[in-house]
Amino acid sequence: MIVATYNGPFWPLFLHVLGAMVLFGAVLAALAASVAGFRSAAFRSLLVAVPAWVLMRGGAAWVYSNGYSAVKNQTWLSLGMAIADGGLIVLLLAIGTAYWSQRTSSTLATRIAAGLSGVYLLLLAVAWLAMAGKWG
Amino acid sequence: MDTYHWLLTLHITAAFFFVGGSVSAGVLNAIAVRAERPSETAALLRLVRRVLPVIFIGVAGTLVFGIWLWNCAGYSIGTAWIWISLALWVVASALGGVGGRHQEHARELAERLAAEGDVSNDELKTILADRKGNAVSWAAGVATLAILALMIGKP
Repeated sequence: MIVATYNGPFWPLFLHVLGAMVLFGAVLAALAASVAGFRSAAFRSLLVAVPAWVLMRGGAAWVYSNGYSAVKNQTWLSLGMAIADGGLIVLLLAIGTAYWSQRTSSTLATRIAAGLSGVYLLLLAVAWLAMAGKWG
Repeated sequence: MDTYHWLLTLHITAAFFFVGGSVSAGVLNAIAVRAERPSETAALLRLVRRVLPVIFIGVAGTLVFGIWLWNCAGYSIGTAWIWISLALWVVASALGGVGGRHQEHARELAERLAAEGDVSNDELKTILADRKGNAVSWAAGVATLAILALMIGKP
């Protein structure tokens, strides 16, 4: 992946991108497991997403403090930050329903967990598309 | 958006598919290895196969859009970090393929045991815990991580 417009230190962006990719992978595993009816696997996959979210968000804050605060009004940056922060609610709801699904074997809970995982994947895709294309 | 940003967007999307898909397969594989019954192991390893198209799109997309971007962004033909990344891409793809075959072998055995009473045996346990087989998949992950580091650091 060629990331050509960033001139700051290596580690903040590396950790941010790595966290985002692991987050995407963990939620993708949870979606696949939920759809296939593997309740425990879906819940455990979503637990992997939590440290990945911390890495992604911590890296973002570190990048931001290294010069990107000057362009905070750009659409791609505000959209990315809104999805990073607001998306946490969706992720936590997905974890909660996946736990409920695992404990009760409820079909409704499994469907909600799958739906929330799918929504979160879409949000992540919008964030990376906006940030890669430097929208606005 | 100009051509450069379109290519960058597609390249980064492919990278998300490549790395994210690999993480997804790795997570499901790790859960499958810890499953108690062979039927569970087999079902979870079958689930890994559903994620493979995501990885394949990512592997192909990173290469195609990466090479296109190389030309579009004006990097010289002798840019070392890009050549090293290409070599690592080959290594990661090859090791990923070998690791995948190891998983397939485990899945076939788990499916056979599931059909024969769903009780695990030493052979399945040995394959699932095989250090050599798992080390290949980990090595593919390390090579992928190194590509990501090169792309961001551009040394």
